[in-house]
Order: sequence, then C-alpha cells, then structure tokens
Amino acid sequence: MLELNNLHARVVPEDGPSREILKGLSLAVPAGEVHAIMGPNGSGKSTLSYVLTGKHGYDVTAGSATFDGDDLLSLAPEARAAKGLFLSFQYPLEIAGVPVMTFVRAAMNSQHKARGEPEVSAPEFLKLSKLAATKLRIDPDMLKRPLNVGFSGGEKKRLEIYQMLMLEPRFMILDETDSGLDIDALKVVAEGVNALRGPGRGMLVITHYQRLLDYIKPDRVHILSAGRIVKSGGPDLALELEKSGYDQFLKVD
Amino acid sequence: MTNQEGVLVGTGAMPAEGPIAAIAEMLGDGYGPAALLVEAPGERFETRISEGDAGQSGSVTVKSGATATLVERIGVSGSRLRPFLPTYAKIEIEPGATLHRIIVQANSAPAGERDAAIVLNEAVVKLGAGASFRQFVVAAGSRLTRIETSVTADEGAVVEMNAVYLAAAHRHVDLTSRVAHAAPGVHTRQLVRGVARKGGRGVFQGKFLVERAGQKTDAEMAHNALLLEEGAEVFAKPELEIYADDVACAHGNTAGQIDEDAVFYLRQRGIPDIDARAMITRAFLLEALPDWMDESLRTEVEAQIDAWLGGAS
Repeated sequence: MLELNNLHARVVPEDGPSREILKGLSLAVPAGEVHAIMGPNGSGKSTLSYVLTGKHGYDVTAGSATFDGDDLLSLAPEARAAKGLFLSFQYPLEIAGVPVMTFVRAAMNSQHKARGEPEVSAPEFLKLSKLAATKLRIDPDMLKRPLNVGFSGGEKKRLEIYQMLMLEPRFMILDETDSGLDIDALKVVAEGVNALRGPGRGMLVITHYQRLLDYIKPDRVHILSAGRIVKSGGPDLALELEKSGYDQFLKVD
Repeated sequence: MTNQEGVLVGTGAMPAEGPIAAIAEMLGDGYGPAALLVEAPGERFETRISEGDAGQSGSVTVKSGATATLVERIGVSGSRLRPFLPTYAKIEIEPGATLHRIIVQANSAPAGERDAAIVLNEAVVKLGAGASFRQFVVAAGSRLTRIETSVTADEGAVVEMNAVYLAAAHRHVDLTSRVAHAAPGVHTRQLVRGVARKGGRGVFQGKFLVERAGQKTDAEMAHNALLLEEGAEVFAKPELEIYADDVACAHGNTAGQIDEDAVFYLRQRGIPDIDARAMITRAFLLEALPDWMDESLRTEVEAQIDAWLGGAS
C-alpha cells in the first residue's frame, strides 16, 4: 500500500543551511497492516511524517514514495489527503476562530469533492460527529470551540483521533500520539484507532515508547536511526527495545 | 444648532474638530436630517453616500435613557463623477445613553483597477457619564480613505471601537482614532484587524489619552494585520499618553504573514491551499466583529469580507 524506496530528504529551514535527515529509508506497509517506527530523538521520525504528507520546508533529494503504486511526492498535501493519507500531528495547530465542526465539515467536503463523491448532508454529519465524540469521550461543547485553542495536550490528541474517525482515511500516520496522554486517555485513543483497523487500511505508528504498542498492536516494528531503518522485526522487537534500549541497535549503524 | 423641530442640540464642550469637519460642512448639504435628536430607545438611522453626492455634515444627540443605532454606508463604485466623499458627524451621547455606530465602506470598483474616490469621514463624539459608544467600521478603502473618530469620555463611560480593513491593490485605507479618558472609570476596548494585498495600504493610528482626572481607566487597544502578499503595506501607530497613575492600559500591535504551519494543517486534512488561506484569514478578521451587531448587519459585513477574500476589491 505504502512503499518507500531509498528515500533521501533534507530539511530546508528559512534561515540557515539545509540538513539531510532521511538517508536512504526503505519501507513497505501492505494494506491491512500496522507498522511501528521507533527511534531515538533526531532519528528522522517526524521528518518522515512530514515528507510523506508534503509539508513545506522539506526536499526529497532521491528515492521514491508510492501509495497504491502512485507517486506520492508529486502531489499537493490536499491531494494526498484526498487519496486517504492522514497525519495525526505530534503538535496539533491552534486555528483561532474556526470551530472544530466547521473545520472538519469543510475538510470532509473538500475530500469528497476531490474524489467526485457527493457532499455529506448536515444531519448525516452531525450523526457521525456524535458517534465519534461518544466513542472518544469528547464533550460535544468542545466541538463548537475554535480548533485546539486553549485545549490541553491530551484534548488535542483526542481531537486528532476524532478527525481521523470522521475522515476515515485509508492510511494513517500517528506521530507521537501517546505524548501528552495519561493512561486512561491512551486507552480511549487506542480504541478509536483500533476501530479503524481493517483489511483496506494501513497504519504507521511513530513512537518513542513501547507503551502505545500495548494498545495498538503492530504487525511489524522498525527501528529508525540516523535516517535509515536499521532493524525490522515482529512485535517482540518493541519489547526488546523497552528492556535494553536503543544502543545495541545503533551500534549496527 | 437646531434640529427640525427647533430643539437645541449639541451644546456643551465638544472635542476639537479636524479639517475633515470643515471640508464636509463647506461642501455639505446635510446629514440625513441636518440634526438628529434621539429621545426614545431603539431608534435606527441610516445614511448613504457615494460618488456624485454632496458631502454630508450634521449632528446627532442621544438623550439620556435613549439608545440608537446609526448606520453609515459609504459606497465607492469607481465612478469619476465628483469622487469626493466627505462626511462629518458631531455626536453627543448624554449620560446613560447608548449609541451604536456602524460604518460600512465598500468598494465595488473592479479589482485591480484604480478608483478616484477620496473618502473622508470624521466623527467627534462626546460621551456623558455612564454613556456607551460602540462603533464598528469595515472599510475596503479607495484611492484615499480616511475614517477618523475622536472620542471624549466622561466618568464611567464605555467605549468600544472595533474595525476591519481590507486593502486590495490600489486601495488606501486609514483608520484613525483618539479616545480621551477625561474622567475616572472609563472602560475602553479597541480591536482592529486588517489585511492587505500587493499594492494595498492599510493604516492604523490609534491614540488613548488618559488625562490626570482619568484614574481607574481600563483601556485595551489591539491592532493585528496580515500581509497576504509580497508588496502589501501596513503602517501602524498605536499610542498611549497617560497622565494618571492608577490605570490599566494595554496595547498590542502585530503585522505579519499567515502562519504556514496552520495552512499546512488544514491542507493535510484535504482543504485546498486557497481555501485554507481564506478560512484562516476570514476567522482572523471575524474576531473583530462585535457581538452587539444585529444579524442582518453581521451577515452584510461577513458577505463583504467573503467577497473580498474571494478576489473582489
């Protein structure tokens, strides 16, 4: 479903020199699978999520990324979203003056329009929203407030998953979704994520810690170090990491 | 000065008039009725001026216990016929009275084309003790547009002066205001939001004067502008001049570009770039719309903002 081949990418800051972050990353996530990416700070985890979703300020210098066989890198961010790519942000942005529901409805209708599907009616939208909010134990009043403004870290993460449930993406990237969540919130969020697992969907879970993977069980675990996958394995690899740390794998590099 | 019924209005010391007042009076042939006297609650008056019209000047007095809404529409069409639009209003709000004043300055000249209109609007406002003056201005500018409001507030008066400006190419829009806090306990709020495109120029000059007698003044001024394109211009001069020692006065002033990270966030959810920018900009501007505005005016202002964001001038 998602295939990355020898991906090289650099971050290009507005001021200062550009730096190569991804240095030949290869990875394949087949449909129906959940893959975890673990790695120390600075290994390129967030850069990978931004490169895949098309954020400004990142240049791909070599390699390829395809989604269902189509080149992903030549598409605008909104076109990637319409194809079904969703990023749960590590730091969700605050958008003053735009209520959550207004925003999600606009996003949903933009995606439907891009795919040539009919708009979702207001009653249908409200029904979906109520279902998603109940599942994630989100106070309905929160959905009328401006997007993420004044929300706690945990509320923001919950709201990312709310958007995910509403937009029903086909491929999800979860960037440090566990940070800022207490254990109860983590369970609720994981339940929401697991509800979207299915044969037609893929997922990339980026995390520092094993904890999230207790609740969102991955099919494969990859260790990212210095912009490359240095080891891949089954779910046990995450447990091994938790026990003995990253060092043993970094020496491989 | 007398109104149509011959009742004396507009007595007492008024703030000094500026040159716009003299021009409007010289060229004017009245301000709706030459003088408005509001004695009942809930009265509403509308004036309108566009190219080809004579200037307008007059006075408005809101008597104690009365509330009134004054809507001034300034419509620039791009016509070359007498493109000089001066307006002057001398406003007195007696103790305990309330005036809501809304100025809608629109420009329907084709986007990207120069118009000839010089729009000058001045109001000198005297507020009695415990009186309220709530003003909202939306202005799209013209060759030269200046909307100037001078307020002198007595004890415990409430002043609110929000505004939105929209400076497209070849449009100059200047919002200038001055609030003199002449007695204790005046509460003032001002939030001005503006946007400018390439070749457009927005100007905000706001001054809060707190006189020696203005103890316990509570005043906040904020001006925030977004420069939507390279080559947009915004000039801002926020001023606080304070002679009292027990006051809470704050001002904030920013001019910058739209947050690209926020734009990316919206695009990642599937909203096209142009819509994402419009959505963020619209929300930024709408924050300056006051909640006291009635539904129909709010709809009108939102429609003007939406049309502008959609590429109108």
